[in-house]
Formats: sequence, C-alpha cells, structure tokens
Amino acid sequence: MSDTMTRPKLRLDHVTKEFAAPRTGLRTVAVSDVSLEIQAGDFVCIVGPSGCGKTTVMNMIAGLDKPSSGTIEIDGAPITGPGADRGVMFQDYALFPWLTVRDNIGFGLRNGTPGRGMAANDVEERISKHIELVRLGGAETKYPHQISGGMRQRVALARLLANGPDVLLMDEPLGALDAQTRLILQAELLRIWGETAPREERKTAVFITHDIAEAVFLSDSVVVMSSHPGRIRAVLPIDLPRPRDEHVRAHPRFAQLSEEIWELIRDEAYRAIA
Amino acid sequence: MSATLALSSAGRRTPDMLRAIALPITLLVAWQLWAMTLPDDTRAPSPASVVAAFVRLCASGNLPISLAQSFGRVLVGFAIGLVLGVSLGTLMGASRAVRRNIEPIIESFRPIAPMAVLPIAILWFGTGTPAGLSIVGYAAFFPMLLSTAQGVSRTDRNLVQAARTMGVSRFRILAKVIVPAALPSILLGARLGMGVAWTAIIAAELAVGAKSGGGSSGGIGQMMFIFYSYSIDMNGIVVCMIVVGVVALFIDRLFRIAERHLIPWRQ
Amino acid sequence: MQRSIEIDSPLPVSPGNPARPTLAAKVAGYPAVLSGLVTLRSFAVFIAIWWAAAAWTHSPLQLPTPLSVLTALKSLAIDGEMLDNALTSFTRLAISMGIAVVVAVPLGFLMGLSERANAYIDPMVEVLRPISGIAWIPLALFIFGVGDVLPVFIMTYVACFPLLLNTIAGVRGTDRRLLAAARTMGVPQSRIVRHVVMPGALPTIMVGLRLAFAGAWSAIIAAELIGSPSGLGFAIEWYRQLLMSPKVFAYIIAIGAVGYSCDVALQALQRTLTPWARGTELA
Ligand SMILES: Nc1ncnc2c1ncn2[C@@H]1O[C@H](COP(=O)(O)OP(=O)(O)OP(=O)(O)O)[C@@H](O)[C@H]1O
Ligand SMILES: [Mg+2]
Repeated sequence: MSDTMTRPKLRLDHVTKEFAAPRTGLRTVAVSDVSLEIQAGDFVCIVGPSGCGKTTVMNMIAGLDKPSSGTIEIDGAPITGPGADRGVMFQDYALFPWLTVRDNIGFGLRNGTPGRGMAANDVEERISKHIELVRLGGAETKYPHQISGGMRQRVALARLLANGPDVLLMDEPLGALDAQTRLILQAELLRIWGETAPREERKTAVFITHDIAEAVFLSDSVVVMSSHPGRIRAVLPIDLPRPRDEHVRAHPRFAQLSEEIWELIRDEAYRAIA
Repeated sequence: MSATLALSSAGRRTPDMLRAIALPITLLVAWQLWAMTLPDDTRAPSPASVVAAFVRLCASGNLPISLAQSFGRVLVGFAIGLVLGVSLGTLMGASRAVRRNIEPIIESFRPIAPMAVLPIAILWFGTGTPAGLSIVGYAAFFPMLLSTAQGVSRTDRNLVQAARTMGVSRFRILAKVIVPAALPSILLGARLGMGVAWTAIIAAELAVGAKSGGGSSGGIGQMMFIFYSYSIDMNGIVVCMIVVGVVALFIDRLFRIAERHLIPWRQ
Repeated sequence: MQRSIEIDSPLPVSPGNPARPTLAAKVAGYPAVLSGLVTLRSFAVFIAIWWAAAAWTHSPLQLPTPLSVLTALKSLAIDGEMLDNALTSFTRLAISMGIAVVVAVPLGFLMGLSERANAYIDPMVEVLRPISGIAWIPLALFIFGVGDVLPVFIMTYVACFPLLLNTIAGVRGTDRRLLAAARTMGVPQSRIVRHVVMPGALPTIMVGLRLAFAGAWSAIIAAELIGSPSGLGFAIEWYRQLLMSPKVFAYIIAIGAVGYSCDVALQALQRTLTPWARGTELA
C-alpha cells in the first residue's frame, strides 16, 4: 500500500528524443535529458515557448513515440506503446472527418478497449452524457467541418473524457476557445478531473498550455520548459488552495506565481519574436 | 456564378438553353439535309434513319441483349479489378516496403494498353467471355490500385495515432480509420476504372469480332463489327455509338451520385 | 507531410556542432541507389516467377519462357522489323498529338476566355466526350478504310478531350490577382493573354498533354489491331494469328517500352516548360 503512495504515476528518467529528416539526415534534438515525476492524482501543466518539445514529451508518454534514450514508466512499468489508460487530446484535435460529433465521441467506446464489456445502451448513455457535458446538444449529427473551431475542440475533449482514461494527456486543449468559454471549461475540467473528490479518486492530468494564468489556475505544479534543445527549466509547485474557483485569480499568490513563471520564460519569449 | 474571366464581355441576349442546343441542332439538321441530297439507295446514315434503326434494333431485341451482355461483362470484370486493385492498393499505401517492391512492376505494366494484352487473353482463354473479362479486369485494375494506394498513404497519421491511444486494434484501425479516410480516393478510382472498363469491353468485343470472323461472343462491340463487315449497316453502327456514349455517361453520373451519398462529410 | 525516421540508438550529439549524419541517414541520403537496387530485385523476382510458371505450365504457346521471348526480341530488333513498326506507330502518334494540340489548345483558350463561345461549344463537347474513340472505329473503317488515316483519326479524337478540358481549366484557373495586377499596370488584353494567362495555364495544359498521350497510346493499339496493316498493335495480333507467342510477348514489351519512354519524355518536357509548377503530377 505504502508502495503505491510513494511510487509516482509517471516517471520520465533522462529522456532524450532526436528526429532525423528523411532525406538530409539532419537531426533535431527535440527533447534533451528530461527527468520528471508525476504523482497519481496530480494536475501538471507544461508551459514553454513554441517548439520546445512539449508535444514530443506528451507523445512519448502516450506511447506514440519512443525516446531515443532514457525511460518512461507508468506505475513502475516501462511504456511500450499506446493504450487507453492514457487518453490523448491532440493539438489539432484529430477528429475523424467522416464521423458525426456523436460518432466521434463514441469512437473509442465502440471500437477500442474503453467500451469493452459495456452493454450497448450503456455506451450510448455514456456518449450522451459527455455530449451534454461539453454542451454540444444541438450539434450531435453534424460533421466536424460543419462546426466551429471551438466546438471541434469540445468534441475532442468529450471524446477524451468519454473513454475514461486514468491519465489525461491534453495538448493545448482550450487554445481555440473564446475567453469566456475557456474560463467555464477550465473550472469544468477541474471538476471532471476530480478536484472535489478525495485525492485517490483524482485522475492524473498532463496539460500543455501557452497561457500562464491557465496553468496556475489548473495545476498542482507547473513544468517550465526551454528550447534548443528542449529541457526542463524549472518545476514550480502551485500551492493555491483547492477547490479553486474564480476568486482564486484574485489571490495575491496567484499573481506572484504567474509573475515567477513569466520571469522564467520571458527572455526566450522575447527572443522568439525578435 | 461564372468563374470565367470574362475578358470578352458576353451579352446575355440569347437564353442559355437555346445556346446550348444551337450547335448540336444545326449539325443534326445539316447532316439530315446532306443525307437527303444523296441517292435513295445510299448506305450513308442520316438522323432519321438512325432513329428508325434504333427502333428496329430495340424491337428485335438485339440491342437490349447485346447491351446486357456487354454490361454484364463489365460488371464482372470490374469487380475482379476492384477486388485486386483495392486490396493490393491498400497494402501498397499502408506499407512503404510493399510499395517499393511492387511499384516498378506496376509502372512497367501501366503503359501496356489493355488492348495489347488482348492477344494473350485470346491465347489463354479463347475468344469467349473470359478473354473479355480479363481485359476489363486488367483495364480497371490500374486506376483502382493507384487511387487506393494514394488514398491510403495520405491518411492523416494523427487519426491513426488517435485511434491507437484509444486501444483500437490494428484490424479495426484498418476498417474504421484507414478505409474511410481513403474512401474518396477509392471511389474516384472506381469511377475512372469503370470508365476505362466500359471502353475496354467495347474494344475487346470489336477486336474479337474482327479477328475471329464474328464468332459467338456477342456484345455491343461485336454487334458493331457485324454491322460493319456483314450487314453493312451504318445506321446500326451509329445507334451503337450513341448507346455506348449514353451508357458511359450513365456510369459516370451513377458513380458521382454514389460519391455524394457515400461521402457525406465532404463539401 | 514531412515524415521523419527515428534514430533508435542514442548518439552523442555535441550541442553546438551540427550533428554528423548517421549510417541510416546516409543511406536515406542516397535513395536513388537504394531504390535502384530494390527495383532490380523486383524485376528479378518477377522474371523468376514468370520462368517458374512457364516451366510449370509447360505450354510455350500460352506462356513462352523469358529466354525465348528475349530471343524473339533480339531477332525482331536485329532485322529491323520491330523498329519499323515502332516508328510507324510513333509517327502516327506524333501526328495525332500535333493535330490535337493545334485544334484543342486554341479552342480551349477560346472557350476559357469567352463565356459565349463556351456556352455554344461546351454542350457539343459533352455530347461527344462519352463516346469513346474505340466506338468510332467501325464508322471510321467505313469512311477511311484500313490504313494510316484510321489510327490517326481515332487518336486525335481521343487526345483532343483531355487537352481541351485541361486548357479550359488552366485558362479559367489563372490567378485573378495576377490578372488584376496586370490590368492595374495598364497592360492591353492581348498581352495579358500572352504573358499572364498563357504561362498560368501552361502547367494544366501540360498535364492535359500527358493525359492525352496516355489515352492516345491506349487507343492506337486498338485502332491498329483492328484497322491497320502496320504498327505495333497490328504486329501483336499478326503474330498471335501465326501462333508465334514469343514474338507476341516481345511486341507487348516493345509497346510498354515505347509508351514508357514517351511518358518520360513528356515529363521532361513538362519540367522544362513549367519548372515552376508543382503538384501537377498525374494522380
Ligand atoms: N516528427 C518530427 N520530425 C522532425 N522534427 C520534429 C518532429 N516532431 C517535432 N519535431 C521538432 O521537435 C521540436 C519540438 O516540437 P514539438 O512539437 O514537441 O514542440 P511544441 O513545444 O509542442 O511546440 P508548439 O507549442 O508550437 O506546439 C521542434 O523543433 C520540432 O521541429
Ligand atoms: Mg505542440
């Protein structure tokens, strides 16, 4: 029992990832020597300049890419490939263009491991519940090309949640939303993740974002990355009280933490646009 | 609505419909008038006698029977080409190793026209239906193969990855992700393949007729050959040509409608 | 759609220096050599299968061995007969393509530039287009008889449609901003056509030319096989009737070779004339 308490849910140990362009053979070091431990039930945000390797790290945790060196473990076992225990919400949503909103959300439940052993009407019920959750009631039978960017993002989110994974891997999931919807969904996301539940019942979440306030609002700790090559610059624990609501944004500590993170990435952010 | 660059500003005085039929009607009338200046025992076709021939051929049942024969061959031959083309195309599109190994052979066969393999088909199968089927299958195979391979290889990798993160098995990914993603290409290949298949069966029947002195193979192509070499019926030939064109048009439209219905997510 | 290969083994990379290419990357850097070898292997396997099938069926009439086909190919090449037939077919092809270009490209410009001309001519084109060139053969036999004219007529007919449609599409697809730019510079219309529309439409026309060739090449075999006493299409059928299978196969190889070379030549022409065009490859 105590073993599970101390053992991290996810462990990245000196992980490096290189890519080689097919023709030229030119290599890019996308991620260099990243070590990180994420405890079960933690909500971790990764921030960093564009191209610093955030997506690459997430793909490796998802099992879609293998590290060039180093190891990644989940519950102490090395990750060998993708699995439904780690759900992914992709940066470009990866919605199936030939499926309606409803069928997209139900894809994993109907075809993959998440729906295994479930009765057909339980599956449908679960799909309906998640359509309601992201407020897509009227758009169920629409195709992805018929809905707005923000709606597409909500479909992707619903699809992720409907599969009920242990670990939520989200790549800028709220990036395309308008500011108001974004705030609402941030709070909603915390609720779904299990903020109000006891710690053991919470899911483990890895959340990539460019928005510092979003990172502070959501997470237990923020991982700040820097680029060329992609490294971890710092890991900041966010010691704001939970459950959080809009008032936490007015907390003096909120501003202080945001400022700290901004300090860490400011130089690079300015350099990127110089 | 006009996507044309109207460099010459066209006056919209003549209604569209009238302009559309102006040229065909003029040509038809000219043809009829020209035919009427010829002596009565002429074999030259005229619009009126073509219509008469059409009625006669339909009434005798010759035309419907030949049409059914040709069309049946196209369907069976096309199905063969479809099965081979789609399965091999999927393999080629999904695996670079398969593609690298097979492509040189495919590319060497591609410039060999279906009619060029007809002599071999006759050597292998004789002058009956199997020879026709093999030509049709051969003709339909290439567009099917190439479109399928292209569609499969262009499947968005992210979609496959998304399915993998949901624990979907390889076979299901093929059926639920790769095939739907490639469906527009596959349908396009089918339309092109069906088009060349129809041309190929006419050519094959015509050639088999020409080279085996008629024979008993049947079909529109052979009917045309018989009109040419035995009954010397130019009107019949023109009827057959028109039927060939109408069927080709019909096939094309049918596939386009099918595309619209089978790919509702496109637009 | 840039894809990358992954490097599985970790390699020391000094941060400042550009990485030295690995062996895998080096091989990937010379894809021509590698794919050449793979192609050779594919042909070797193909010929081995052919040989095995020929040995197994043991019916030289239906499936001659690669060796006997090679012998036939050699003898046909040496006595010049194959070259004669190939030249005959090629000449007919060249004449037809020439006529088709002269007829279809100007017509395509007319129809692309003038809404009115298009409204009158397009329905006629749509009526004729579904009638394949092959279906014209019997009527053309009546009109022209067996000989040189028939294949040229059929091929010209077949080649005209892709050229015409692609020319129209190319002319209409001319970038409207370029047109506007030319207009604002006070360029007269004839010059706009010459210097803006023509180069703009050329890539699409070149694709049309390749499609036209593909159609014509497929039609010539049928036309010669049925209605001509010479040419490659005639030769294969002739040797089939004489039951000289190795020569039939040899001629089929010749048809493939000539067709392939012509397409390679057209691709080269395409690259020379429209070096700026991308993504206009045949599907
Ligand atoms: N498949 C690949 N092949 C080659 N290089 C790649 C590949 N994927 C990522 N890279 C490179 O690795 C680096 C990190 O990319 P990654 O997508 O992880 O960045 P990111 O932090 O997610 O950026 P963004 O915030 O813009 O999404 C970049 O320099 C990128 O060019
Ligand atoms: Mg990213």
